[in-house]
Amino acid sequence: MRILRNVFRRKLRVLLTIFGITIGVLALVVMGSMAEKINMLVSGGTRYYSDKVTVAAEGSSMFSTGPLSIGKYDAIKAVPGVAEVSAGIATLLETDTSVSFGIPATIQGSDLRGQELESFKVTYSDGRALRADDSGSVVVGSDLVGKLDAQVGGFVSVRGERFQVVGILDKTLTGPDTSVWMTLADAQRLFVQDLPEVIRSQVDKNDLVTSFVVYPTEGTDPEQLALDVNKAVPGVKATGPKAFQDQIASATKIFSAILYGIAIIALFVGGLSVINTMTMSVNERTREIGVRKAIGASDGQIVRQFLGEAGIIGLIGGVSGLVLGWIAVVVANKLLESSDLNLFLVTPRLAIGSVVFALILGLVSGLYPSLHAARLEPVVALRYE
Amino acid sequence: MQTLETIIRGAGIHKRYVMGKDNYVDALQDASVEIEKGQMVAVMGPSGSGKSTLVHILGCLDSVNSGEVWLDGRRVDKLSRRDLAQLRRTEVGFIFQTFNLVPSFTALENVMLAAEYAGKSRREARELARTALAQVGLADREDHKPTELSGGQQQRVAIARALVNSPKVIFGDEPTGNLDSASSTEIVDMMHRINRDTGTTFVLVTHDPDVAATCDRVFHMLDGRVANGNGRHAEDGRAD
Repeated sequence: MRILRNVFRRKLRVLLTIFGITIGVLALVVMGSMAEKINMLVSGGTRYYSDKVTVAAEGSSMFSTGPLSIGKYDAIKAVPGVAEVSAGIATLLETDTSVSFGIPATIQGSDLRGQELESFKVTYSDGRALRADDSGSVVVGSDLVGKLDAQVGGFVSVRGERFQVVGILDKTLTGPDTSVWMTLADAQRLFVQDLPEVIRSQVDKNDLVTSFVVYPTEGTDPEQLALDVNKAVPGVKATGPKAFQDQIASATKIFSAILYGIAIIALFVGGLSVINTMTMSVNERTREIGVRKAIGASDGQIVRQFLGEAGIIGLIGGVSGLVLGWIAVVVANKLLESSDLNLFLVTPRLAIGSVVFALILGLVSGLYPSLHAARLEPVVALRYE
Repeated sequence: MQTLETIIRGAGIHKRYVMGKDNYVDALQDASVEIEKGQMVAVMGPSGSGKSTLVHILGCLDSVNSGEVWLDGRRVDKLSRRDLAQLRRTEVGFIFQTFNLVPSFTALENVMLAAEYAGKSRREARELARTALAQVGLADREDHKPTELSGGQQQRVAIARALVNSPKVIFGDEPTGNLDSASSTEIVDMMHRINRDTGTTFVLVTHDPDVAATCDRVFHMLDGRVANGNGRHAEDGRAD
């Protein structure tokens, strides 16, 4: 505790320095938690898409899918290397969400074929999985439980219709967290309801899907299978795992880098203020350093003392920044819950990493002042006024 | 009086402080001195005569430009920084005019600091520090900060700190210079008692003739030389 008394000998200055680090770590935690959320989403997506082919309407992209006819089902299933095909509807949970930041909540309707081939397993915190005959029932992703006020056996309102909740998913930290799962027929009905009048009259709701999930047979390369499907089936666009990587993963990497970059700049400024504080502290305590040397302190012991003090400043700043950042993230997620946004995620590696980073920052920043202190000649230091 | 063993010997010491180009002070010029074990000696002389510089050099706090310094049979003027630090923590103790205690530490912690630098564990250091504080009569003040102690008490803490590693020599750079006469007498008496009880050699820079008068020997310095450095001994060598 003696080291704390030494650190806090100049209270205001040290507190301001700690505050500088705190702000930096706060920025790191908030920015980092956004990057981590995106990373988790992307790595979940990467895992999900890694062994399958997705088929959407021609001209669609990752972000918008046009309707497809379920009639393509047989053609796709007939392509060599296809083990099973599952037809599905994906649409936004709320139709008035026009512009959104982050991942909007979705309705996922599926005919539930090929579940035994699905490598991306989900588990249920309550209730059970959806069955193909579960008309009027839903399974709710963990992030939507609060928003929909869902509990197993109870009812939730989805686009104005009442559905009974049969299961609630465990947190996956990726896509399924913000999805509501229902049977294909239910999803088709909701999807068509929302189409413009002109189109609605022309389509048969039982014919409409937005995508197919294609499970390759064992030993079939999904990348190659996507090419084969594109060749064999007209009017569709099949994509393999690589497309997800190219379109999403690399773009989010840049986004993460920018987020972390901003936070590191904030921390760098905090680091400079540690250098400043420690240099002033060494200057003010030159005489004390002389005394310590006169009573036998070695250069190494002086370095350790001042490094220790700089490290403490970094550590306190790091921990308080983490606490404040964490509170900010929890509050922000709470506030955004009703608008489908769950933007931030404090992962253990982010929490530990930011505190360790602040500690290292303090130590590195304290290094020069500490070495300077240690190199002072005892007599010169003693004479210093 | 029988001749005692020499514990400190300085021979032909030169020390020049360079302040800038063509601006220097020759603090010591061919200064020589011999101090015998167990004695209490005073170093006197006008301001600027090199008293403090000599004591700092003999106490391994400062380096020489030329000449030799021997401490307890070992030549120390060429030692590395690390070895000098080692000597300072085990062989010598220092007391200063301005006490120089660490202001944020209690009396006990100030004394412990020296013991911890000497490699003692926290627990050992605490025991040694308590013993040393008891020796200077401050057992009941161990939790006081320097600002809560009188000048005389602060200097007693400094003596305890100098004493805690049982050094062979304790150097005092005008240890009574900042004290009133009562405290001054108290401190001088205490040093005499420690000198008698433990056989620790004391080398005190002082302006005060009354302090010097109580010492076994008095060295007089002038213009960077010790006027009577070899004292009773012949100029050209040690007499037995």
